[in-house]
Amino acid sequence: MVDVSQHNLVPEHSVLDNGGVEAVLEDYGVDRTDLPKITRRDPALPDEAEVGDVIEIRRDSRTADNALVYRLVVDS
Amino acid sequence: MSDQTPKEIGSVSFGLMDPETYREISATKIITADTYDDDGYPIDMGLMDPRLGVIDPGLECRTCGKHSGSCNGHFGHIELAAPVIHVGFAKLMRRLLRGTCRECSRLLLTEEGMDELRSRLVRTQQLGEDPQDVLKAAIRQARKTDRCPYCASEQYEVKHEKPTTYYEVQDVLVGDYPEKMAAAMQPGGSGDEESGDTGATSPQELAEETGIDLSRINEILSGEFRPRPEDRQSIEEALDVDLTEEDMNKLMPSDIRDWFEDVPNEDLEVLGIDAESSRPEWMVLTVLPVPPVTARPSITLDNGQRSEDDLTHKLVDIIRINQRFMENREAGAPQLIIEDLWELLQYHVTTFMDNEISGTPPARHRSGRPLKTLSQRLKGKEGRFRGSLSGKRVNFSARTVISPDPTLSLNEVGVPERVASEMTQTMNVNLQNLEDARRYVSNGPVGHPGANYVQRPDGRRLKVTEKNCEELAEKVQAGWEVNRHLVDGDIVIFNRQPSLHRMSIMAHEVVVMPYHTFRLNTTVCPPYNADFDGDEMNMHALQNEEARAEARVLMRVQEQILSPRFGENIIGAIQDHISGTYLLTHRNPQFNKTQALDLLRATQVDELPAADGENDTGEAYWSGRTLFSELLPEDLDLEFTSSAGDEVIIEDGQLIEGTIDEDAVGAFGGEVVDRVIKTDGSTRARVLINEVAALAMRAIMHFGFSLGIDDESIPGAAEEQIDEAIDNAYDRVEELITTYEADELESLPGRTVDETLEMKIMQTLGKARDSAGDIAEDHFADDNPAVIMAESGARGSLLNLTQMAACVGQQAVRGERINRGYEDRTLSHYEPNDLSAEAHGFVEHSYRGGLDPQEFFFHAMGGREGLVDTAVRTSKSGYLQRRLINALSELETQYDGTVRDTRDTVVQFEFGEDGTSPVQVSSGEENAIDVDAIADRVVEAEFDAEGSEAVAAAARPTNLSERADDRSAGLDLPPAAEAATGGVNDDD
Repeated sequence: MVDVSQHNLVPEHSVLDNGGVEAVLEDYGVDRTDLPKITRRDPALPDEAEVGDVIEIRRDSRTADNALVYRLVVDS
Repeated sequence: MSDQTPKEIGSVSFGLMDPETYREISATKIITADTYDDDGYPIDMGLMDPRLGVIDPGLECRTCGKHSGSCNGHFGHIELAAPVIHVGFAKLMRRLLRGTCRECSRLLLTEEGMDELRSRLVRTQQLGEDPQDVLKAAIRQARKTDRCPYCASEQYEVKHEKPTTYYEVQDVLVGDYPEKMAAAMQPGGSGDEESGDTGATSPQELAEETGIDLSRINEILSGEFRPRPEDRQSIEEALDVDLTEEDMNKLMPSDIRDWFEDVPNEDLEVLGIDAESSRPEWMVLTVLPVPPVTARPSITLDNGQRSEDDLTHKLVDIIRINQRFMENREAGAPQLIIEDLWELLQYHVTTFMDNEISGTPPARHRSGRPLKTLSQRLKGKEGRFRGSLSGKRVNFSARTVISPDPTLSLNEVGVPERVASEMTQTMNVNLQNLEDARRYVSNGPVGHPGANYVQRPDGRRLKVTEKNCEELAEKVQAGWEVNRHLVDGDIVIFNRQPSLHRMSIMAHEVVVMPYHTFRLNTTVCPPYNADFDGDEMNMHALQNEEARAEARVLMRVQEQILSPRFGENIIGAIQDHISGTYLLTHRNPQFNKTQALDLLRATQVDELPAADGENDTGEAYWSGRTLFSELLPEDLDLEFTSSAGDEVIIEDGQLIEGTIDEDAVGAFGGEVVDRVIKTDGSTRARVLINEVAALAMRAIMHFGFSLGIDDESIPGAAEEQIDEAIDNAYDRVEELITTYEADELESLPGRTVDETLEMKIMQTLGKARDSAGDIAEDHFADDNPAVIMAESGARGSLLNLTQMAACVGQQAVRGERINRGYEDRTLSHYEPNDLSAEAHGFVEHSYRGGLDPQEFFFHAMGGREGLVDTAVRTSKSGYLQRRLINALSELETQYDGTVRDTRDTVVQFEFGEDGTSPVQVSSGEENAIDVDAIADRVVEAEFDAEGSEAVAAAARPTNLSERADDRSAGLDLPPAAEAATGGVNDDD
């Protein structure tokens, strides 16, 4: 089986620790549930990700160098 | 109305309505189906009862005392003789029936199950998902339960027969059970054969096996006693027969109402139903609200007859059946008749709500037209939401045919006088504009810059007529309002459908003109996708100062030159403009003074630059490139490759070398236009585009430009060459076919032999056409108009030229050679299974030479595909666009840079993930953002500004009105004003 998360078009997904989550939520003034979602079964997720975790996705961007996106892992 | 203060809506709550509330708000009970009596007066407690509101002007409402227009109408009610199901909730009712106990009405889930659902409901709400999914999951779970966990009663399956009938499916004993049992007990009876037991079963054996008394067994066998369900089961097991059949027990609406009444509130809460506002039994109607007459006005026809609204017709039906139902029941009619009437009442109430239910014949008008009932009023494109609320017809709008006018600026629109004097702008008269206002009024409604209405400070509106205009003009004072005609310089909104992107609606400045069409500059055709073959466009006059200011600053054409789609200019030179600049700059022709001045006369340049030299006769001359350079900003430095293929070099605003064509000044990404708008601003870019267009028109008229059939002719020798090339191709195709028929053709990887042959033939013929084109091309001079247009990018391509002059080439349908028509052949002119080029749509002639009949037919086939494609594409993409807009319409970029929807859920953490506007940033795949250059420019501008702050501030254009710009620019034009236009970089 191909490990999708290693494909060069799949950006880096990492689980944010609690402090990081707090900082992000503080930064944007949102609740955890207001974040964009990612399903638990998404093959790009790291193995340790669980429902309720916040994932940081780091994309390469031609204009912004790095584009950071945060997603909440949800069931289904 | 006007003295009411605006209110803010705090919240809106949707739910079911309690029948008691219906009765409370009802203005009257409706008992007769009649509407008007013989004298034409509405009958009391009839469908047109005056307490339900007024529609006839002059009458007073018996409920609120208001007159028609201000009385909104009042609901009445009909007491239904028997409960009836509301179709809109049929699905939810089915779910509740399946999910609750038939005896105790509790939700068929254990406490743990309910707890889990409760937490799931909270989570769903937090994540903003659909609570309906939770309900569905809960019902799915509850349906699996056979016995109620609370009262232990057995549950049966509920069958829903659309639209409004429900059955309980129960297993009951068949009528002929003794016969069945006897048959099974006979030797060789059912079941025993399989088990290999050939012997018969005696009643004694049966009694032993089932544990039932022998006497009881005998009673059962004789049909005197019906076995109890448990006994039945053991008998079934013992004899291996099925003694049951499915019995459909119809649930009457009254049963369902009783069932739902007992569902506890706590159990509903688990399903996401708020019992406070929506008790499930309210889904069964016992009382029907009657809409006010204002919602179903009757109209009086020319012959004095009254014609009632569809809803009224439907209500008449309901009341009639309702009365018959009651009469029959009181008379003690048989159950069968009562049930029939009940069903009829259900049908009428159902179609009153929705007349497009599948499986139910729609209720029809006497003429056979289906009635338009409640649901049909709301649904669809012409329904209340899409037709009356989201989309309304508007005042102050005009529509007419458009035509071109190259003398207008791209910011302007020519408005016919008739339109200008119909649509008005409100003038608030004060001491400053009193004179103007009086002049407008005294011109009357017919004279052009006139006025149509005036409004006195007391709010009274007076129509200006030709008779009273002089008199009225005297009376106009400060504080009045005057609705004056549109005049030059007013801002209006201009639109062409389909409005596919934001540049389909732009603000233009009015230029009032004679005749009957809207006039626009040809350079704004690309953003509107307009041409002048009969296109019509809409104009909207703006009615308040905020709208006008916003339109001016945000929507004016010059602010829309850059397209957010690809970040480059969408407005620029097109077609003849490009041919014109090409002619002017490609060979760099020379012009004498008269000619040079003539070329530049439509621009703001009123002084010629130094001459480029003298010709043989000693006359001074100016080159085309020099003249073009006059339009460029002083400090422009640019290098790029033109579409004609040569290097264009612009230094210090002088075109040193190269051809100005589509890649330089064209719409859709002309380098010069793009650079100028990004460094010097939209006003400068507007001036540039206007002047390039004007100069180009002068240039193309100077040289003359036409295209005729002779321009595509090639010498006979060349034609022979082309014929030879095509003959060669035919030979190669013939070879391919022989190899194929000899089964010697080798297939390409992943393709069959047939496909390989087709591909190779297509390839060969494609090459043949290309080489024919190459031969033809060699014989066209560089000044051939078709070549000029193709090379400059003005219109057409070399392929078009090839098709006109050399060979039209292979015609294709669905990407393949033409293969359809008769059995095994395309036309009866060919042998069956002929694989040759000409039998499958290869057109070897040119358009100029003329196609032979078969070729013409194949060509029409290929052409038809294109037409069908565009027709299909437009409808498909229109629907796609609608869905996309609906999905994205409420997303909004917040002040913190995030993009969020209306629930404040984050969609993007930074707009476009980089927070930049595609219109403001110029970068492509190959050219990244040149940060250094931008920094240099800003710093330079900063230092320059320090020295000449006063001068720069004075010369900066207002950017608000083209006319204001021109006035200020007229004072001192280039170089000083031009350089200051950009503001950012003046480095002289």
